[in-house]
Amino acid sequence: MADQKNARVIRKANAFEILNHWVMAISFFTLSATGFAYLFHIAGVVSFFGGPMGMKTVHNYAGLVFAASLILTIFSYLIEALSFSGDDMKWLMKGGGYLSRNAAVPPQGKLNAGQKLVYLMVLAAGAAIAVSGLYLWLAPEVKSRTLSMHFLHNAAFDVYLMIVPFHIYLASIASPGSLRIMINGTVPLEWARKRHAKWAARMT
Amino acid sequence: MGRKSLLVSPELCIGCRGCQTACKEWNQLPGSKTENRGSFENPPELTATTFNRVRYVEVASSSGDPRWLFVSQRCMHCGDAACMNICPSTGAINRTADGAITVDKTKCIECKLCASACPFGTPKFDAQNKLSKCGMCADRTASGLPPACAKTCPTGALRYGEREELIALAKKAGYAKIYGENDLGGLGTLYAFRDEPKLYGMDEKPAMPESLIFWQNVLKPLSYLGLGGALALSLVHLVAVGPKKDEPKNDEPKKDEEVNKNG
Ligand code: HEM
Ligand code: SF4
Ligand code: SF4
Repeated sequence: MADQKNARVIRKANAFEILNHWVMAISFFTLSATGFAYLFHIAGVVSFFGGPMGMKTVHNYAGLVFAASLILTIFSYLIEALSFSGDDMKWLMKGGGYLSRNAAVPPQGKLNAGQKLVYLMVLAAGAAIAVSGLYLWLAPEVKSRTLSMHFLHNAAFDVYLMIVPFHIYLASIASPGSLRIMINGTVPLEWARKRHAKWAARMT
Repeated sequence: MGRKSLLVSPELCIGCRGCQTACKEWNQLPGSKTENRGSFENPPELTATTFNRVRYVEVASSSGDPRWLFVSQRCMHCGDAACMNICPSTGAINRTADGAITVDKTKCIECKLCASACPFGTPKFDAQNKLSKCGMCADRTASGLPPACAKTCPTGALRYGEREELIALAKKAGYAKIYGENDLGGLGTLYAFRDEPKLYGMDEKPAMPESLIFWQNVLKPLSYLGLGGALALSLVHLVAVGPKKDEPKNDEPKKDEEVNKNG
């Protein structure tokens, strides 16, 4: 029975957060695929989504899902992301320890400084893309405003395209043990003590 | 075969509006109720069922007699068409081999972005919210016929033909300014003006909106360059530095036990 001992894990994401994460990811990919089809007139994608009007419906309603999902993330992450400490600053100066194999970094809270910044950028760019998208959908009549909303929609899209690949890479391959947070929500206690020491200390 | 154009010469126009009628007839557009606004000009701007119209400009002159300028107006069929650049829908706005800008309503997704981009205020929308504008009678020109408006014009104020020939013709006739010769990649609707374009109710220097140019040259390519760059940097990191190597490699535990003190 000696090796029957249970693994000590701690919960980092609850069921609601996990579900909302995947709702956001799927709506984001749908919006990006249709968005690219708009930008570069990719006929294959347009017919995949049921022709021009079908794709517009998909893009606009996926936009609503994305916007709702974004609002829900606020309850999970905003307070944590805004609590920026001196350790966070030092963590950033050291590139989060990602710049070499065995760099030591200051202890982090539930989110590390990089994650906090990514969340704030996702929130800001997401708000911009959702507001401009809703405007283009519902009130395109005022011409000069429409043009600036179209501009904002695309600028925010660019921001997303530059953040999201890093987010996916850093949360999966680059940081083994992270992905399970968005699958079953828990992490080994050992892992938590290494990556999020302050939070692990608070939780146990 | 070179680019074709329409040459409008307000000085030759007598304001009969035959072009307006011929356009409605060929394109099967319903008439619309007009209103007396103190001028023969009607309607006051292009509409979804009025693809061309004659602008009536009355100019005071030194001799005391007013000078009438009749300016036939329609889509300018821009060489570098803002509407086409911004349109997100594949195949909704197209350019014919002659250089005319045409609409395929079945592909239009009613987003109205074209109206926000066009420097001339041309795009109008029908009852189904589809873009509805002059297509230079592409269905006529494809078989060698001139557009209905030019065909009907009794004075030669509207002339259709090879763009270069029309420009040469107007210059030889002594017109000071060929409006649209070079603006916006050259307009497909050219004007032979005696005076400043302003006098005829036209923008002195029509241009693509600045933000649209930036979008076209920077934001649009940045979408795939940014995405590609981010992916490439991730890959470089993976190869050069690699993943964090601090996984606790303890013997396979059997069952997780949560130890959170609270949520
Ligand atoms: C509330 C959310 C959103 C709404 C209501 C919305 C709406 C729109 C609308 C109305 C358009 C113009 C074409 C059309 O009528 O469909 C558009 C275009 C576009 N959208 Fe969105 N969108 C939203 C979110 C997003 C997101 C999250 C992305 C990126 C991941 C995105 C990327 C794009 C792109 C690239 C285009 C093409 C560029 C353009 O022509 O403006 N959108 N969107
Ligand atoms: S005048 Fe306006 S609608 Fe016509 S081709 Fe130029 S940008 Fe497009
Ligand atoms: S309203 Fe139609 S034609 Fe105009 S930009 Fe949108 S899809 Fe293109």
